[in-house]
Amino acid sequence: MKKIFVYILSLMMLVLPMSCEEALDINTDPQAATSADPNAVLPYVFVQYAARKTTEIGTRITDVPQHFARTFNSPRNGSTTSFLTGNTWNMYYTQVLGNLGLVEADAREAGTGSNNITAIAVIMQALSYYELTVIFEDIPFSESINGQEFPLPEFDDQGTVLRGCVDLLNEAMALIDEFEALGGAGTFNVSSGDLIFGGDMQAWRRFANSLKIRILMLIRNVDASVESDITAAFNQPLIESNAQATLFNYPGDPGQDNAWKQILVDFGTGFNASSEFFGPSPFISDLLTSTNDPRFELFVDTRGGLPPPALDRFPTGSNSVINDNVMRADMPNIWFLPSELNLYRAELIIDGVLSGDADEAYRTGVEQAVTFWGQDINGAQITLTSSQIDTYVNSIPDLSTLSNEDAKEQIYTQQYLESFLRPLLSWTHVRRTGVPALDPPASATISTILKRFTYPPTEAAANPNTPTDVLTDEPMWFENM
Amino acid sequence: MKKILLMGFVLVSFACSFVYAQDRTISGKVTSTEDGTTLPGVNVVLKGTSTGTVTDVDGNYKLTVPSEGGVLVFSFIGLTSQEVEIGARSVIDVQMAADVTQLSEVVVTALGLEKNPRELGYAVSGVKAEDLVVARESNVISALNGKVTGVTIQQSSGNLGGSSNIIVRGITSLSGNNAPLWVVDGVPINNQQTATGSRITGNRDFSNGAVALNPDDIESINVLKGGAASALYGSRAAAGVIVVTTKKGKAGQGGKPQITVNSSVRFDRLFTRPDYQFEYSGGSFAKYDSSLRTTAFGERIIGQEVSKAITGERVPLQAYEDNVDEYFDTGVSLINNVSLSDANERMDYRLSLTSLNQEGILPNATLDRLTGNFGAGVKHANWIKSRFNIQYTRETSQGTGVAGANDPNIFNLANFVPTTDFRDFRPWIDESGNQINTVNNQDNNPFWVQFENRNEREQDRFIGSYELTITPIENLNVVSRIGLDNWVDERFITNRVGTRGRATGTFDVDILQRRQLNIDIVSTYYKKINEDISLNFLGAFNYNRRVFERDRLFAESLSIPELFSPGNALTTTPTRDESERKLFGVAGQAEISYKDWATLTLTARNDWSSTLPLENNSYFYPSASLAFVFTDAFQISNNILSFGKFRASYAQVGNDTNPYQLDFRFFPVTQATGQYSLNLNFPFDGRLGFAKTNTIPPVTLIPEDQITYEFGTELQFFNGRLGLDVTYFFSENTNQILNVSIPPSTGFAQRTVNVGSIDNEGIEISIDATPVEVGNFRWNTIVNFSHVESTVTELAPGLDRFLQASGFNSVQVVAVPGREFQLFGIPYEREPTTGRIVIDEETGLRVPGAAKNYGSVMPDFTMGFVNNFTYKGFSLSATIDWRQGGLLRSASVEALWDGGLTEETLRNREGTFIDRAGVIVQSDGTVRENDVPVRSAEDFWANLSANSVSESTVFDATFVKLREVGFSYTLPKSVIDKIPFSGVQVGVEGRNLALLYSKVPHIDPEANLFGPGQAGVGFGVERASVPSTRSFGFNVRLTF
Repeated sequence: MKKIFVYILSLMMLVLPMSCEEALDINTDPQAATSADPNAVLPYVFVQYAARKTTEIGTRITDVPQHFARTFNSPRNGSTTSFLTGNTWNMYYTQVLGNLGLVEADAREAGTGSNNITAIAVIMQALSYYELTVIFEDIPFSESINGQEFPLPEFDDQGTVLRGCVDLLNEAMALIDEFEALGGAGTFNVSSGDLIFGGDMQAWRRFANSLKIRILMLIRNVDASVESDITAAFNQPLIESNAQATLFNYPGDPGQDNAWKQILVDFGTGFNASSEFFGPSPFISDLLTSTNDPRFELFVDTRGGLPPPALDRFPTGSNSVINDNVMRADMPNIWFLPSELNLYRAELIIDGVLSGDADEAYRTGVEQAVTFWGQDINGAQITLTSSQIDTYVNSIPDLSTLSNEDAKEQIYTQQYLESFLRPLLSWTHVRRTGVPALDPPASATISTILKRFTYPPTEAAANPNTPTDVLTDEPMWFENM
Repeated sequence: MKKILLMGFVLVSFACSFVYAQDRTISGKVTSTEDGTTLPGVNVVLKGTSTGTVTDVDGNYKLTVPSEGGVLVFSFIGLTSQEVEIGARSVIDVQMAADVTQLSEVVVTALGLEKNPRELGYAVSGVKAEDLVVARESNVISALNGKVTGVTIQQSSGNLGGSSNIIVRGITSLSGNNAPLWVVDGVPINNQQTATGSRITGNRDFSNGAVALNPDDIESINVLKGGAASALYGSRAAAGVIVVTTKKGKAGQGGKPQITVNSSVRFDRLFTRPDYQFEYSGGSFAKYDSSLRTTAFGERIIGQEVSKAITGERVPLQAYEDNVDEYFDTGVSLINNVSLSDANERMDYRLSLTSLNQEGILPNATLDRLTGNFGAGVKHANWIKSRFNIQYTRETSQGTGVAGANDPNIFNLANFVPTTDFRDFRPWIDESGNQINTVNNQDNNPFWVQFENRNEREQDRFIGSYELTITPIENLNVVSRIGLDNWVDERFITNRVGTRGRATGTFDVDILQRRQLNIDIVSTYYKKINEDISLNFLGAFNYNRRVFERDRLFAESLSIPELFSPGNALTTTPTRDESERKLFGVAGQAEISYKDWATLTLTARNDWSSTLPLENNSYFYPSASLAFVFTDAFQISNNILSFGKFRASYAQVGNDTNPYQLDFRFFPVTQATGQYSLNLNFPFDGRLGFAKTNTIPPVTLIPEDQITYEFGTELQFFNGRLGLDVTYFFSENTNQILNVSIPPSTGFAQRTVNVGSIDNEGIEISIDATPVEVGNFRWNTIVNFSHVESTVTELAPGLDRFLQASGFNSVQVVAVPGREFQLFGIPYEREPTTGRIVIDEETGLRVPGAAKNYGSVMPDFTMGFVNNFTYKGFSLSATIDWRQGGLLRSASVEALWDGGLTEETLRNREGTFIDRAGVIVQSDGTVRENDVPVRSAEDFWANLSANSVSESTVFDATFVKLREVGFSYTLPKSVIDKIPFSGVQVGVEGRNLALLYSKVPHIDPEANLFGPGQAGVGFGVERASVPSTRSFGFNVRLTF
């Protein structure tokens, strides 16, 4: 009897391990892939970038350059929360750069035919690092996105980061030139994954070169030796017209719409005119009305002539509000407009870096900016007539009649207006040029307007190389103060 | 094969009966000396042979013995064994007495083995049926409060069907695997909790799996605490095992079927309520503002005429002191149970139906649970028995309150502004379905969110098991058991069109399924070598498969309100999650007993887990334990020390990880995320989006390792009147499988590695005494003391802090080497020479400092005091629960202060004042007493928590609670005989009756944001919790 039992047991012991091996080989996630096509990863990168670019570094900070009187949970008073800094940092590093790093590595391995993918990845990296450094100053750059080799990345100073971004953009343009030389033979088709230009690599090249100028302008504020690079860049293909503007477009359906609209829909009535969430700062309101700038009616809804709310206040029933025209579902997230380049051009001509007519460049820039908002932007609810635009453009001062200082102030002011609803850019303009001179709100705990974010606890806790936070009114390297 | 076995059994049976065919038969009845009742199940053995039988339900036995001489041995666990000379008698009746030197009952241990506690080399804490129903609790975990040593229990909220968290002997895992394994009648069941939404974003505290267990159906709960106790369960038992045994069918008096009916009704009120102020109005900076929902820094209330909040009518300003009662209801619970049970020598049968119908304290909150439990066992023949058990539970609930933040449905104790008249919130909806009667344009009417927005849950739970026990030869038992736990959990959460914050309407259908199949084959063989030495062998095989599936559909922008069809939504986001894991285990045990006073047990188990790398998926772990009854060994027998046992054990246990941790994965993404849930959906403009994992998978992974040592003693004095049980234990948990945070600048957030270790050291003391026993009066008292220190000994190199759980505003629970889990957050800046708070010379306000560890979130010790008084038919029991130490950060208190809602914020309302707690550091570095006035009280209270400073709302969470009181009266036999019942008991019962001591103002110190779903840390942070309740009720129990 006992023998039989022992026999059964030993049989079980023999059979089990053999079937075990197979039965246990189930540890593959049925809901995930082990590799992914760039046409699937790039849309994630663009959309995730846009999602945070319009929220943490969009709706929350438009009162930092004081375009808006006040926004929800803004760091305008000097305090940056861990949600604000952490979400921003993680978006750039883990969601955008982390994925781009993998896309780039695969594309480089595939060779020249995939240079378009590599170039897009590299340009987006440059854009990300540039934006990170104007938010945080010193950031991991040369040792970032390489956990194998650098588990605890060192932080690079802002000059190194900005120059590195220029190098990345130069490399991307070279990659594109190499790619275009193939004439399409054996090339990877990225038209569906490229939500920005649908695979048009010349458009990417124009964007890369334009972005390079934006970055060089920051370096130039400290180091004039880059002026020759700027001159060279102005001789390369650039974003010339509003038709070539770099935009992230929203289809406009729910879940596919700009965060400005979403915040009104989710938390209010769907419209700012009735929700009264966002009001123009008295500063920008005055600036626009005092010059009869036609953009005023595009940006501000006075609801029958009501005044703007005081700085640091939300609008009430007796205030003007931001116009729903610019808080539409299909309002694009604007990355680059030609007007920005023409305003830089005017500035550089006055400083003798470029040759040409500063006033003409200035006027072209202003006209492009007004025309973009008043005519060329898709889906505008309020449009401007050409004569309205002309009247305004003709009314702005002739720079040749002004001192260099005054002329530049005019240009800087237009740069400030040109970057409306792009708070990161306008904040950077204000810090670079000091125009307009903004005072911090009365309730601020800092002595100037916000100059930077503190480092997020997620990085600081895990990376001992994270610099100690300085006060949020400490100017950055590029401000040259 | 089976046929051969069967034939073998038949042959053996024949052989046995043939040998003794010519012998005489002895019969008799075994009764109790105590009350004369008959004793079933007593072993009757002819001494020196293996011939024996057991008594039937009526205590009768019949045994065939050789024609001459012999001695019968009557034995039963818990009773003194008797040896009776047979002589020439053919009828032998025996009376048996309780053995005070033995612990009373068998203990159900690992793999369902019933053991004599004398032989256990490790500590086991148990709770019996009657102790679970002193004052009924809808979550069985909470019913254990104060009654067992070595466990820490935490109830998350006052929600109906809310969760409770239990940790056995401290934190054993840094990766969150701290939930003990629940085993019901030998079958592991799920006790997971899955949050809908994150713990931080609009947390709905939906209960954990063990709530499906109905206290009325439980015979006993044993907590296997140490590694040696649970070693046979393998890797799943590293955090302890809770062994639940359900009631088996029993016959009533005289062998009749027994029908029991139990009815309880209970009323719930708020357990604590904040000390609200009623002197100042809603508003800020001394101006009345009726549109504020959380701030009462307005004008002094002197009857001045104002526009009333909500309605706008002109009225004299007044405080509405009944707002809390206006909003919170009196909860009502009805618990009805009926059971039918029966048994004879061949079969037992029990059917039980329980309904729980509750109305909560939150408006429109209800919970209904129906539990059917059916179990039966049949002894087909002497060598084959089978038993099955089926439990079905259906639970539906609605109106679950939402805690945390970032959800428009949150409404909590910090929303009671004194000058808002809560009666004006009714009605909350007009005929067109619009929300009405709100205080402003951003916030919701609190009744709207409770009545119009749904927070519903529907659970169907089926737990079934079948067990076949074969005794092919004498002393060999083979038990084959198959168990299935099938749990379907559907949540349905909506925001009606018009809800502020979700204005276009949303619905969320979240269906979770957990299935667990477990097969055990356990064979045991008993061999008595000689008079003194006996051996016990065990071999076991285990197969376990667990499947989790989750399908979720989130829909936004509804065209027709209250039509919850995907086609009615402009956007829908479906998500799906699934995982499967398998485990094979082989275990063996050898046990040697010497003279019944020394038992050495050795076990070994090997597991193979699907979640580990195939080439590294096998792990082996041994254990050894020794039980030594020294009073017997040294023949100590006196009236002072009546029983003494020493026990020691060592065990090593492994642990696997979660499925799918090994591959580098790209996930199809359904949403790109933005602040305030301003998300973008995929497909976006017709494009799919894929993103890489944020966790770098491990290069190699080995199982986690746990080594435990345990020493203990059990002593009984004065013939059992005083019992003392002391245990010391130490465990070392190494090779923890952790997702370690890495700098996001690497492109990833985490990395999975084997790092880190955590040690646990603790002591458990249990005293059981009967100080008074005079006539019919008896006072029994039990004191349970548990202390455990869970010290993190090592993290990854270069890592000085490892996040366990994230609260709000930089408050975190973290693991720090050399310490217990710490509460981490931003304190005030301290001046180093005086240690006092630094005040800003400009504003007179406190200055934030650098983030630091505040201290441990884990309690220093817990104590339970259980007292039972009985006098004739009267019985009074009371449990007091004391938890000492551990920190709690209360965001609710912060909100109450920030809003000027409570009494202490009344000070210095008029004019300015100076914060005397601080000093000013002058520009030359010298320090002076603060002399800078704060602009207003509002500035002071708002600044307390500004810049994410949490220091002022970090409290010592020590509390003493009168946890439960039950008073019952059982009708005496003289009355029973005249009525058609065999037993009648009536009682009153109360739970959470009083908070006897607490240092946390305004709220229940036990409140918590992190339920059992959160990485094993049920402690440390509270925010907008649904307040807990105090209950009082009546109970009637009838037995037919």
